[in-house]
Amino acid sequence: MASIFTPTNQKRLTNIAVVRLKKAGKRFEIACYPNKVMSWRNKVEKDIDEVLQSQSVFVNVSKGQIAKSDELKKAFGTDNHTEICLQILSKGELQVTEKERQAQMNSTFRDIATTVADKCVNPETKRPYTVTMIEKAMKDIHFSVKPTKGTKPQALEVIRKLMESDVIQIQRAQMRLCLNIPAREAKKVKEKIKKLSSTVESEEFDGDLEMLILIDPGLFRHIDDLLRVETKGRGRLEVISLKDVKDDDEQIE
Amino acid sequence: MRTTTLQKLAELQKNPSKIRNICILAHVDHGKTTLADALVASNGIISQRLAGKLRYLDSREDEQIRGITMKSSAIALDYKHGHIDFSSEVSTAVRLCDGAVILVDVVEGICPQTHAVLRQAWLENIKPVLILNKMDRLITELKMTPFEANIHLQHILEQVNAITGELFTSHVLKESSHKSADKKDPETVGEDDVYHWSTGLEDVDDSHIYFSPDQGNVIFASAIDGWGFRIHHFADLYEAKLGFKVEILRKTLWGDFYLDSKTKRIKKGAQDKGKKPLFVQFILDNLWAVYEAVLIKRDTDMIDKIVKSLKLKIQTRDSRQDARVHLQAITSQWLPLSNAVLAMVVECLPSPLEVTEERVEKLLCSNARKFDSLPEQTQQLKDDFLACSSAPEAPVIVYVSKMFSIDWKHLPQNKQRPLTSEEMTRRREIARQRHAERMLVKSQNERIEDTTNDGVNRDDDAAGIQIIQKPKDVEHQPDEQVFIAFARVFSGTVKRGASLYVLGPKHDPALVLEQLEEHDGNVEAVVNNQQHVQQYTVGDLYLFMGKELEAMDEVPAGNILGLSGLENLVLKSATLSSTVACPAFTDMYMEAAPIVRVALEPKNPGNMKQLVEGLRLLNQADPCVCVFIQGTGEHIIMCAGEVHLQKCLDDLKDRYARVDVNVSSPVVPFRETIIPPPKTDMVNEMLEGQTTTVKAQHVMSDEDGSEDSAQQDFIELQTTDRSSTIGVKAIPLPEEVTQLLEKNAAFIKMLELYSSARRKHANLQIGFRISDATLKALREFKANLQLAFSKSGQFWEGAIDQIWSFGPRRDGPNLLLNRIPNYDRPSLWTCLNDESKAVLERFWDFDNSIVSGFQMATQSGPLCEEPMRGVCFILEKWDSDKELYQKERNLSDGQDQALSEETPFLRETRTNSGMFVDDLVETSATWNDSAVVSEGDTGSCSLREASLTKDCVDSEGEHTSNIEGAVDSLTSNMSRLAANDLKVSHEIQPTSVHSITGQLMFCTKEACRKAFQAESQRLMIAMYSSVIQATVEVLGKLYAVLGKRNGRVLQADMKEGSSLFNVRAVLPVIESFGFAEEVRKKTSGLASPQLKFSHWEVIDVDPFWVPTTEEEYLHFGDKADSENQARQYMNAVRRRKGLKVDEKLVEFAEKQRTLSKNK
Repeated sequence: MASIFTPTNQKRLTNIAVVRLKKAGKRFEIACYPNKVMSWRNKVEKDIDEVLQSQSVFVNVSKGQIAKSDELKKAFGTDNHTEICLQILSKGELQVTEKERQAQMNSTFRDIATTVADKCVNPETKRPYTVTMIEKAMKDIHFSVKPTKGTKPQALEVIRKLMESDVIQIQRAQMRLCLNIPAREAKKVKEKIKKLSSTVESEEFDGDLEMLILIDPGLFRHIDDLLRVETKGRGRLEVISLKDVKDDDEQIE
Repeated sequence: MRTTTLQKLAELQKNPSKIRNICILAHVDHGKTTLADALVASNGIISQRLAGKLRYLDSREDEQIRGITMKSSAIALDYKHGHIDFSSEVSTAVRLCDGAVILVDVVEGICPQTHAVLRQAWLENIKPVLILNKMDRLITELKMTPFEANIHLQHILEQVNAITGELFTSHVLKESSHKSADKKDPETVGEDDVYHWSTGLEDVDDSHIYFSPDQGNVIFASAIDGWGFRIHHFADLYEAKLGFKVEILRKTLWGDFYLDSKTKRIKKGAQDKGKKPLFVQFILDNLWAVYEAVLIKRDTDMIDKIVKSLKLKIQTRDSRQDARVHLQAITSQWLPLSNAVLAMVVECLPSPLEVTEERVEKLLCSNARKFDSLPEQTQQLKDDFLACSSAPEAPVIVYVSKMFSIDWKHLPQNKQRPLTSEEMTRRREIARQRHAERMLVKSQNERIEDTTNDGVNRDDDAAGIQIIQKPKDVEHQPDEQVFIAFARVFSGTVKRGASLYVLGPKHDPALVLEQLEEHDGNVEAVVNNQQHVQQYTVGDLYLFMGKELEAMDEVPAGNILGLSGLENLVLKSATLSSTVACPAFTDMYMEAAPIVRVALEPKNPGNMKQLVEGLRLLNQADPCVCVFIQGTGEHIIMCAGEVHLQKCLDDLKDRYARVDVNVSSPVVPFRETIIPPPKTDMVNEMLEGQTTTVKAQHVMSDEDGSEDSAQQDFIELQTTDRSSTIGVKAIPLPEEVTQLLEKNAAFIKMLELYSSARRKHANLQIGFRISDATLKALREFKANLQLAFSKSGQFWEGAIDQIWSFGPRRDGPNLLLNRIPNYDRPSLWTCLNDESKAVLERFWDFDNSIVSGFQMATQSGPLCEEPMRGVCFILEKWDSDKELYQKERNLSDGQDQALSEETPFLRETRTNSGMFVDDLVETSATWNDSAVVSEGDTGSCSLREASLTKDCVDSEGEHTSNIEGAVDSLTSNMSRLAANDLKVSHEIQPTSVHSITGQLMFCTKEACRKAFQAESQRLMIAMYSSVIQATVEVLGKLYAVLGKRNGRVLQADMKEGSSLFNVRAVLPVIESFGFAEEVRKKTSGLASPQLKFSHWEVIDVDPFWVPTTEEEYLHFGDKADSENQARQYMNAVRRRKGLKVDEKLVEFAEKQRTLSKNK
């Protein structure tokens, strides 16, 4: 590199993000500021001047070719640039910048960790883990966030993976159910229920069979279906607690 | 160089009158370590020459680095550190001692910790003596003349005495009835000059508490140079020279006296007449001369003269080295520090025999109880205390003040040795004998022999034990840490293998003795019953030798010892006794309560178990640490201060847990609530007619199927399958009700359980039963609630019977009320009506789903997913068709053959259409509503679907026939709906009961959240209440710290009889991290706060607030988000949880740089 600054002949675009939209076989572009388009779409940024570099519609931003009025009319039914800009801004495709992607990833990662922490416990103590611990464990098993998938399925996947790995002792927080099974079907149903539940806390036979059980939340549907089908809808099911977690403060002694 | 043997020691121990248990207390860096070194040196453990440099007691690596000493190494002079964070360790040591040596740096003067230790000594009824240290700095650094130094020293002494006086007077004020005889005007203490003390012993009662050189309880010293003296020393010296009597000299050497050279008489009033006081003339001048000769002028002739006149022997190697060494050699021989200190200790401080009655009573019973109220047998123990007898028949009383852990390898019996222990002992015996013989030959320093306290006078026994470099331990054994109890024998003799009772802090002798009578004196039976009494067989006994431990067979009364084998019985402190009549010693007076809270977690998530185990050990070892697990799963550790915390963490990492630990500020909980619409805006302008715009401002309207109609004041929402509609309104609960609910969470839980049990077992034959007392309490709770409601106004009338559920978790401070016009839901309280089992309990189906939805909504509010508090949701509307549900139930049971053969899609459509027809029949109004709703979001529809739907509708038979016409007119509408549902049907399962439950739950939750959002939402923060003691000078700084952290001062009162202010303040929990440390720093330690959770407080700012009116724009500017505290908190929580935060990634679009520099 020469130590003296020599101007280049080439004009470079700085601080520009291009948003494109293909319509009526033509490609239209607008010039925006980077890191701002997503904010606009999330309705966080309200000032349009902070988003658009210029309020004109281009055919090619880097060459500075402004779209012709009749082309615009053909594609959008109007040649009002401001209006079309808004349309392109909301529907067009753009390269998501590093920063935006990073922010998005971070927040999804946190969201997943929060969900996992909410659903899981330490099987030894029946106490929840903190979100930071889960985040650490997720990093340890090299979990990568998929931006296209929702957080909940990803959280479930994380739980599965964490349980397989030995990075952390983890378990889904159990659901506590109270079942009321009519006497006639009691025997038949009981065995099946027992197989599905992780712990049977109590069993009382008083005309009807009443069971207090802990199950994995994923099996709730099975239990519910089973009970309804087997007892022809006469069995009752009550959710005592959605998750069985020890959540009182405890002094260590 | 060793001066005593173990046997000699054991003998010494048996004579309590020759024992002094003392502790050295002082502010940080006032020279405790150096002083202790000097004392240790006098007993030959380390070389005299090294004393003052070696810092023998700083055995921990970090202590060496920091230069402060942290733990109580007990060489029976308990050695104490000065940092405030460790004042708890001071507490434990003070407990065990009879006397205290207080060090003050003459240059720095009185420091906050000096205050604290004086107070501590006072409260524990321990007699203090004073050492004014670092006198050399007056000469070398401040370059004072002897005369100035004299005045300076007087000032310091006055200050110290002022503090003592203050303590004394406030004590007197407190117990004026007790000690009215001792009462003395405080003014005379602070302002009177020292002269007063030296002559006037007119008030013997309280003058003993003050420090005065003429009483011999003050030493002037320079520990680093190894010298120190009392004026007694000089009095003896000058007696011969000047011909005055020792008594006169002792009284006059300090104070405003001068020597009239003409008359050769000592006269008063040196200051007035401009004469040199005796102290200056005879003592300081000489000292100054030595310093000047050796350090400043390096005048060899002069030095020689001094040395000769003092009859000292200076080794040539000392005089050749630099001036300082030379000086030290001279001064430490001239005025040996250790001699002076030990002489003073022996003379002024009580031996264990002389323990005062007052102190014994204070030890035995807490302030709340009178000593007389204790059982007789216990009172008799007092005599044993006073006797301090080590006779075998005397009851054994031992107090354990703390547990500390040492490396297993450091125990004497575990030192690496090639021989068996028997061989070892034999060898040791031989070595010892040989050594003892040698010792006899040597002339011993008699003085030290007599005066030293037990442990000081010992040495390492290096002959018997080969001190081997501890091998680097790579593998960690689980039981490598051994807990040794740091204890003192108050009475009797502790022998290895003896059986004692461990009395917990809650042990009550009266109770036990009563039981003892019942059991005919069978102690075993009682002990087994009692949870506060345990049996303990004495394990190994140790003596403390600085960093070393020495195994002993028995320890007589009055001594300090280490006990092993207690780790499972004693948590932090305890009393051991051979009789159960002995009460547990009162709790220690703690100068610093744990206030710095942090959350810990292992770096490697798998190490959780080790961390918990480590925390348990730490808790046992450190009396001032508080460890607990929070409901959120965080492991919280509370320490006295930042330095203490650091020490705890190091201990945890290196010794107890041996895992890497992450430290973070604890997660602070928030609450979400709503308030009545505000009447004024942010600049206190009246708001008029804007309430409606405030409402529904933040309701997100992008959710499908929702519509909040302007006419209704509640939020209406449909389930996704449009089977039911729910109308909810949110209103703030009166604060009184909220508090009542919060307080009675346990009752609410019980009520829920009880009523559901009652519901199931109508006859209460089996299952849940509660006692009459609880039933009564529940009824009382209901009455209270009723009262609270009736106080809160008309609106809440009858609310008590409308209560549907509490939330979150079914026992929280939020309510769900039932105000559905046609739903006469059985009251929650019916279960309390005795034997009213005949009540027909009729719930609507899916009642439970509504409750669950409400629970979910209250568990995590819309602001930042934190629980709600003090919100009342009123269910105004719930339209659905029960018959339809019934039908669906049958349908999903597979009984409806015809339908079950249809495709899920068909069934879906069918049920939906069926529902609408039923709706039409029952409540046409609702139907219209939903139709209107559906019109908004219908897409295009195909003819096939329309006809299909119509077919289905037709097939419904009897319903349809009545309203054929109506259906026709609505078919088009419905077909659109069906099309809409088609989309839905791909997402949701074929309609079954649980999908209805789920939908209803979800719908209720959403409705509640929206209703919440429609009101003025507020964030609530947890508040600490804090009581801070501060002196007048630092009050302003304290307020500044409070103000910076959004705290408020509630009250500031002067404490009676002292210059302290008691400040009561509240502070948000979230701002409290590092608060205590900052306060201490800003006020130079003169104020230290105690924090306690007090209440929830609403932040009176809407988290979504932006300036709207002209005035607000003027006042806050355009963006205004810098000021919104609630928004800051909310966003912080949302960011932590990974929720969407309304924040721009980049604030100013133009100010981005995207190209690299060279383009």
